[in-house]
Amino acid sequence: MIDERIYQQFCEIGRDLYEGGMISSHGGNLSIRLGDRVIIKRRGAQLGRLKMHDLIETGLEKNDSGVALASTELVVHRAIYMNTPALAVVHCHPRTAIAFSLSRDELVPIDNEASYLLKKIPVVTEEFASGSPEMARKVAEALAQYKIIMLRGHGSFAIGQTLDEAFHWSSTLEESCQIELAAKIINEPFIEYRGMTKDYSKW
Amino acid sequence: MGGWMGKVLEINLSSGETKTSPLDMEMARLFIGGRGLGARLLWDEVGPGVDPLSPENVLIFTNGALTGTGYQTSNRFSVSTKSPLTGTVLDANSGGYWGMQFKRTGYDALIVRGKAVRPVYIEIKPDGVQILDASHLWGKRVRETTSLLGQNNNKRNVLCIGPAGENLSCMAAIMNDGQRSAARGGPGAVMGSKNLKAIVVEGNERPEIIDQEMFKFMLYEARKLLKASPLTSQALPEFGTSVMLHIVNTIGALPTRNHRQSQFEHAEDISGEALTEKFLVKNDHCWACPIGCTRITKTDKVEGEGPEFETTWAFGAQCGINDLAAIIEANALCNDLGFDTISAGSTIACAMELSELGLLDSDLRFGRADLLAPTLEAMAQRQDIGAELADGSLRLASRCGRPELSMNVKGMELPAYDPRGMQGQGLLYATSNRGGCHMRGNMLGLEVLGLPKLIDRFQVQGKSVFVILHQNASAAIDSLVLCKFTNMGVGDEYFARTLSAVTGIKYATGDLIRTGERIYNLERLYNLREGFTRADDTLPKRLLEEPVVDGPSKGWVSQLEPMLKEYYRTRGWDESGVPKPAKLKGLSLADMTEVA
Repeated sequence: MIDERIYQQFCEIGRDLYEGGMISSHGGNLSIRLGDRVIIKRRGAQLGRLKMHDLIETGLEKNDSGVALASTELVVHRAIYMNTPALAVVHCHPRTAIAFSLSRDELVPIDNEASYLLKKIPVVTEEFASGSPEMARKVAEALAQYKIIMLRGHGSFAIGQTLDEAFHWSSTLEESCQIELAAKIINEPFIEYRGMTKDYSKW
Repeated sequence: MGGWMGKVLEINLSSGETKTSPLDMEMARLFIGGRGLGARLLWDEVGPGVDPLSPENVLIFTNGALTGTGYQTSNRFSVSTKSPLTGTVLDANSGGYWGMQFKRTGYDALIVRGKAVRPVYIEIKPDGVQILDASHLWGKRVRETTSLLGQNNNKRNVLCIGPAGENLSCMAAIMNDGQRSAARGGPGAVMGSKNLKAIVVEGNERPEIIDQEMFKFMLYEARKLLKASPLTSQALPEFGTSVMLHIVNTIGALPTRNHRQSQFEHAEDISGEALTEKFLVKNDHCWACPIGCTRITKTDKVEGEGPEFETTWAFGAQCGINDLAAIIEANALCNDLGFDTISAGSTIACAMELSELGLLDSDLRFGRADLLAPTLEAMAQRQDIGAELADGSLRLASRCGRPELSMNVKGMELPAYDPRGMQGQGLLYATSNRGGCHMRGNMLGLEVLGLPKLIDRFQVQGKSVFVILHQNASAAIDSLVLCKFTNMGVGDEYFARTLSAVTGIKYATGDLIRTGERIYNLERLYNLREGFTRADDTLPKRLLEEPVVDGPSKGWVSQLEPMLKEYYRTRGWDESGVPKPAKLKGLSLADMTEVA
């Protein structure tokens, strides 16, 4: 039986992702680690309208009947938990960040907030970019070094101790990309305001 | 070699022999330094059944791979031994200057074995190591000893014990730089049992930093983060650690009168705000620390460092005392006698309850501020009522026939957070390897302060994962060795990258946390080897059975049992709390599987 408090956390973050334009109606997913168990969104459920039965509990390493119901990205979430200290994962489809990921191998923020919080976001490429073991391995390896990464043309995976924290990184990334897009439209030379700016790309 | 100096100094006080040996670099990679390296060395040095106060016990002083590099708070050292208070594995660490200076002597660790026939002190200088007569120092208090041995913060640093350590109190601290302490679990008594009064260090070496450019960037980023965090840039500098007192009291998690209540009606009188307004002379800081939480305070009778939050709580709310001047004076006395203030204060609180119940013949009563100083003096000398209290609350309460009135885990007195109002904190205490302690991870960040994000403090399901992560992270930080306040602004990923820059060995965040997990499991194995069992992973009966009577935590007891089951499963331990062979193998601890 999943604690009501945990369900509420999923509902709040799921709704915010949808209303913030970070996912389509049925896109994205959320999970948390509970020891040797994982709680993840049901396959096909709408994150913006989660019901208690939309949360599926299954094993972290071992399959059980829960896998028949879980999100197609379960394999990725499991790999992340097995390879990082993460206790929560947020996967969403931030539109501006996805657009930038199509032409860059890494995203180095130009705004203060994302420079401060994220430093740099690597872009990972995988042809089978949805629920494949190859994708799971690449995403988990990248998240061993970074708290948020982009899967080229697909979306972001962020980790944290809580869903709240992983959502924070996700929304910060999208905000940063929107700022950069706006700056490109303005198209004027930057006046640097940060110290050690070049070092962010070494992160 | 980056970060490490590559040498271990071994001193046998029984024979007078000193020896330098190379640091096992594979061991260093796996355990880093500080608490981790200390636990690994202790595993080999002190086998099961050794009396902690016998010559067969050892003292292992360690610094970490970041110590002395100039990284924020890289001033600390750690001391590991078998605890006379708990019988468990023990490490305690301390800030100030001594740790930095110890690193400059060119050693990563100092192992002290045996027992001197008469009082001695050790002097480690660039021109050699000496064991010197300390007869003239024996019996002297900490301040005087430190001064007589020539303390000079940036050049020559003194670590010593006071009368509490000499008289083998199981709550005795090791003091350094005059008023800093590695206190919990009684390491000062182990030092006293060896007739070792002091260790003086002078050095001129510096650790190498492999990737200077990245290290500079990490320094820059940490400075920015520590400035940005209101905790590290405003709250701690302005009010000291006692800034927590109001916060913890407000949510109904400040243990009061030996944990009979969870809110102190006079919290205002002993708060960080009151300390700053009425008694603060100035702030001070440890070497390479930009936070500066140290208080220099003054009353009509004393002037000196402190008190910290835990001390203020132990002599304040826990004893039902709202006389802040008396608390400051008790703290100063503990520093001079060489006592752990948490255990000393909580033991006095236990004695107050026992006395009120007519089970102990003393004048101690809740609120009797006037008896703090004379009781501490008596404890240090083992005189009168002090003889009853000198070895902690569990031994005291057991002799009075009511062991459940000692607020301890594994014999170590609990600190200033009531597990009934912070469910995760209770699990953390119960599973702490050195006993009831808030420095083996602390749920204050997650359950109260919202660091990194606030979680429900009463939630039980899923709480174990947070506790385990923070226990592992704490073990890693204690092995670097950094101050825990640094991670109120700087996250684990920064520590991992800084360690990589200094050592040239790539540590991902997960590698660092896994190192902490390795250390935690090794410590667990040590305790199992000593005979500790699942039954020792518990809390005082009062916290499990007596609901909080009023306030924001009203009606709650600790829901330990379901959290503990989930904790063992998540740790990869069996139902008895024994690490499974597969877990040990995965942590490169396969050699220790025979214990499991």
